[in-house]
Amino acid sequence: MTFDSSQILAYLPMLILIGMGCVILLAETFATEENRRGLAWLGIGGCIASAGALVMQWPEAAQAATHFQGSLVVDRMALYLDATFLVASLLTLLFAPPYLREQGFEFGEFYALVLFGAAGMMMVAHAAGFVSLLIGIETMSLAAYVLTGSWRRSLRSSEGAMKYFLMGALATGFMVYGMALVYGTTGGELSYAGIAAKVPEAAKSPVFFFGEYFILIALFFKVAAVPFHMWAPDAYEGAPTPVTGFMAAGVKAAAFGAIVRLLESGFGNPLLVFDFTGWANILVVLAAVTMVVGNLAALRQENIKRMLAYSSVGHAGYLLVGVAAMGLGSQSAKPAVLFYLLSYTFTTLGSFGVIAWIGNRQDERLFVDDWAGVGTSRPAVALAMTVFLLSLGGVPPTGGFFAKFFLFKAALESPQLYWLVVVGVLSSVVSIFYYLRVVVAMYFRDPMRPLVPTDAASTRAALVITAVAVLLLGIFPGPFVEWAGPLLGK
Amino acid sequence: MGILTWITLLPLAGAALVMLVPREEESILRGIGLGTAIVTFLASLFILSDFDASKAGFQLEVDKVWVESLGVHFHLGIDGISLWLVLLTTFLMPVTLLAPQAIGTRNIRVRDFMVAMLVLEAGMIGAFVALDMFVFYVFWELMLIPMYFIIGIWGGERRLYASIKFVIYTLVGSLLMLVAILYLYAQYHAATGSFSFDYVALSRLSLPFEPQLFCFLAFALAFAIKVPIFPLHTWLPDAHVEAPTGGSVILAGVLLKFGTYGFLRFALPMFPLAADATAPLIAILAVIGIVFGALMAYVQSDAKKLVAYSSVSHLGFVVLGIFSMGQMGVQGAIFQMLAHGISTGGLFLGVGLLYDRRHTRNLEDFGGLWKKIPIFSACFLVIVLASVGLPGLCGFVGEFLILLGTFGANKAWTHSGMQGFFPMPRLLTVISASAVILSAMYLLTMTQKIFFGPLDKPANKDPHVRDLHGREYWVFGIIIVAALGMGIYPQPILARSEKSVAGMIDSFQARLKDAKANPQAPAHLFPANP
Repeated sequence: MTFDSSQILAYLPMLILIGMGCVILLAETFATEENRRGLAWLGIGGCIASAGALVMQWPEAAQAATHFQGSLVVDRMALYLDATFLVASLLTLLFAPPYLREQGFEFGEFYALVLFGAAGMMMVAHAAGFVSLLIGIETMSLAAYVLTGSWRRSLRSSEGAMKYFLMGALATGFMVYGMALVYGTTGGELSYAGIAAKVPEAAKSPVFFFGEYFILIALFFKVAAVPFHMWAPDAYEGAPTPVTGFMAAGVKAAAFGAIVRLLESGFGNPLLVFDFTGWANILVVLAAVTMVVGNLAALRQENIKRMLAYSSVGHAGYLLVGVAAMGLGSQSAKPAVLFYLLSYTFTTLGSFGVIAWIGNRQDERLFVDDWAGVGTSRPAVALAMTVFLLSLGGVPPTGGFFAKFFLFKAALESPQLYWLVVVGVLSSVVSIFYYLRVVVAMYFRDPMRPLVPTDAASTRAALVITAVAVLLLGIFPGPFVEWAGPLLGK
Repeated sequence: MGILTWITLLPLAGAALVMLVPREEESILRGIGLGTAIVTFLASLFILSDFDASKAGFQLEVDKVWVESLGVHFHLGIDGISLWLVLLTTFLMPVTLLAPQAIGTRNIRVRDFMVAMLVLEAGMIGAFVALDMFVFYVFWELMLIPMYFIIGIWGGERRLYASIKFVIYTLVGSLLMLVAILYLYAQYHAATGSFSFDYVALSRLSLPFEPQLFCFLAFALAFAIKVPIFPLHTWLPDAHVEAPTGGSVILAGVLLKFGTYGFLRFALPMFPLAADATAPLIAILAVIGIVFGALMAYVQSDAKKLVAYSSVSHLGFVVLGIFSMGQMGVQGAIFQMLAHGISTGGLFLGVGLLYDRRHTRNLEDFGGLWKKIPIFSACFLVIVLASVGLPGLCGFVGEFLILLGTFGANKAWTHSGMQGFFPMPRLLTVISASAVILSAMYLLTMTQKIFFGPLDKPANKDPHVRDLHGREYWVFGIIIVAALGMGIYPQPILARSEKSVAGMIDSFQARLKDAKANPQAPAHLFPANP
């Protein structure tokens, strides 16, 4: 077993986050009420340092390099996702402190857990083997469970965390069992490359298929694809609002990264893709059901966090369209999925940031009706929220529009997916309807009671960053999508 | 930076400027909004002077790379078809902003209103001059958001319902159109190996009949909702009645034209086989719309709703003219689009003024107003007559050309699937000509109920009901001059659109012939135009 420093250095961004998380944990013991906010800044510093390491790595990552017996890989896709996670954790660290202070549960472990969660996500994005995938998924998920339940005073937070944890543990069980089955049928292979080499032989056994789909089911659970989405509304509603944004964007991006890599390099053999039991067919059905159910369920929600939870289910459906297109041979599908995840991260973090901003300790303002009149009293924030909602709905000139556009363009390269694109487009019309309900409340109704938001400089800065980023992605998407990969194929 | 980029961006610059002014400074805000609109109009006159009427193709083109990896270009250009629609847009916007009633009676949030109107103007101009399908789509959607806010914030009682309905209807159509655009993009790549959203390039793509039909239907749905063609018109009365006066004027004056413009620019030239096959069907729907809209207008008691339904009827003529697929019919359709923009814009401004004075739109509440406010009454009558299509005013020229063109459309339709069914174009012409009488009926009945008869209702004698004053003179004066000018001397407009229309019809016929020769040929490119 070789273990040289270059292999370690290749994962410097992840290590920086873990190291900074440990520093925060230690520093927490010395922290007082007044200087505890400094811990968030430590975390932000860690994110920036990690981003710096990422940028250094970028040029040489054009060639994929695997390390540790093929269990981890550094390539452009992984680094692009890493950047997405860094965006998510950085913005969470900006949005969270005022919220935590207002609700009275600021503690250093929170910031450390955000960093650990992000490191877990990075592990997932880099994973090219089962062991690293499992470690990454568990690191990420444990952080997410604890963060969901971190608001100890709130019953809903505990309830959400409990549900999330129980369902998540079940999913992990499925995943481990699936890995064991694949391991057994392939004659002891753990890395994706090794599995891919053994697939022609192993695919003769139905046990292999059980293994393959058990793993995939666990990942579908993480992205909240229908019918594995039941936990999402409760967990999203219960979690402290900044955590909801972090979970919705980061966990989803990581799990999609895992799905894409697993299906591409592990189960990419045509034997597994195109057959009647092939994953491409299954993904097509799953994508259609997820888009329709997610968006229709969101229509009926009054609580804005639950609404966005169901909307995130719908977004998982759009992303699955992209993954299915990748399976059917569309070259541009992978960059489209990656761009979608980036744009979705900015948009989701921003919208949950606004939700965290609008409430205070007495009055959380989580219902659509509570947003009446924000457009008049706080025009700038209302404008930012409108940008986020339009981006979620896929209306130009926002990042969400280009994200959907690239995705559907990729899907239209295969004739089998025409109908799926039409389903996607129509369900995004449905989604516009409920997103606009919030806009209607903000602009078209008169306020019912005075607005006392949790205002802070860091929140404002983060809102400006997210809103500008969403518009930037919507007007000049060129470089961002080119970093994700060649969109035109061939 | 060509002139087209300038006039597209000018309103946006104005909107940015407006946002910097404090919201309390209402008169400054109105001044900036109006000033921007006027400057944009003056700038658009440069297009007119630079435009070469003897050319059929696109002129004053701007072509910049926007998203290189996709082959999206910021490609703008103008021809005899879009030229006048751009001018209509830049003309109506300052007139609307000049009207004191534009914001409606809930006279609030002037700053937001100016921003919405100016962004809307940028979207409209951009969509008219875009020559890249992608850019077109972006501007097309960009129009939607400000209009949504205009109806939703400054609208009437049921504004929430109307604004959502407007958005959902429009989006269903436009998103399916986006799918069709993406499909064309993929097919173009398959046929040529290069990626492009360029209109000129994509319109040379010849698809087999079935995909062509599906794409045509996706485009046609988007445009038919916008026009609106019966039976997709139900959003329109709601949107119009609830929108503030300024919103109604722009909605009827310009936004509806995107439907008919879209047919003319995209749906017909790009999918000749499908357009040819469905032309009789769409023409029948158009005629149903003409008659149905007129009858609905006749039974309305709300003046604004009456004018809204009259739009359904009048735009039916435009669709009929376009699908006659002949020089005269299409030119008539273009003229009718402009005339409808002026006359219906004027009608909405008039109804808005009446509402401002009387706080009602119910026809039964009026009566004898001519004795009380003679100048406005005379102005309104002229606009009504222009809308009815009295010779010498703008409405006549377009309707006349359309009816003439449709009557002669037998030849164009002999190829289509419904050939020999019955002498349809002539029958349709006869039916729609009779609808001209209907339009006289409902519009003159409305005029009669408002302005004539005894001045016996106390509310109408109120001193608050006063005649035109101040800027209102300008508003109605400009509209009447435009209506008269277009009616008496339509030649400049017809002359500048003639070559482009002829070129479009020629290439349509040539492509149709080419495609008919082998309708199942795999996707390939038509030969370039001579």
